[in-house]
Amino acid sequence: MSELTAIHKAQITHTQLVRYAGASGDFNPIHTVVPVGEKAGLDGVIAHGMLIMGMAGEALADWFPRKDLRKFKVLFSKMTRPGEKLTIKGRVTGETMEEDEKRLTGDVSIVNEAGELKLSGKFQIKI
Amino acid sequence: MGSLVKEDVKMKPFSFTIERGKIREFAMAIGDRNPIYYDVDIARKEGYRDIPIPPTFPTAIEMWGGLDFETLIELFGLDPLKVLHGGQEYRYMGELCAGDTVTAAPKLISSFEKRNLRFITIGIHYKNIDGNDVLYSESTIIERGRTQK
Repeated sequence: MSELTAIHKAQITHTQLVRYAGASGDFNPIHTVVPVGEKAGLDGVIAHGMLIMGMAGEALADWFPRKDLRKFKVLFSKMTRPGEKLTIKGRVTGETMEEDEKRLTGDVSIVNEAGELKLSGKFQIKI
Repeated sequence: MGSLVKEDVKMKPFSFTIERGKIREFAMAIGDRNPIYYDVDIARKEGYRDIPIPPTFPTAIEMWGGLDFETLIELFGLDPLKVLHGGQEYRYMGELCAGDTVTAAPKLISSFEKRNLRFITIGIHYKNIDGNDVLYSESTIIERGRTQK
């Protein structure tokens, strides 16, 4: 198993969530409108899960050529709020044969500064 | 074990044309500075036909293509304040770049309740203009605090 170079992201801002809402087309107001987040019992707005997965995708295309990515699967754990700083970690766990292709398998995870897990996932890369 | 929810939800197929500007906007929102998403010359030098899509860009195809948050809420009768994204999977079979048009066929994979949570999984098969499978996306959304009837 080999560790991949961790990627440290800039602090998440409320503006970034508004920007991601427009870019992705996900206008669920719990991500952008504070009173709606409060009404939902979330103590304010929370980041889109897909924004967090997007950061994991950024790391994957940094670690490997984008075109070699074959599978990318994640589960979302804790919610992320503006003000948090996230780190993407990854490691190669082995090799596999799928669809007549030799592939690397790996794990990816995202944590905040306190080490709280936000996302955990698996990926496959064509060798 | 969860109880299966009887559902006959039909989601419409849709198509979407990928544009360079949308890819740039999407990469910027993530804070992803990989030059292949911004500079077509660099992308071509790296072996892509044009600007490639970031790994999670299919979410923008889905939301802007017609299967957006409001549509899902309405189709499945969800409480918008209680919906969360539980998990997401992508399988990449072919390269997708700016200029490509894809067609997407969404279908309900499963829908069940467990304790007071409702899990809905939607799978989407994407084909390119030649009819080849290029991408598969599967998302699980969770509705919290659902009271058992």
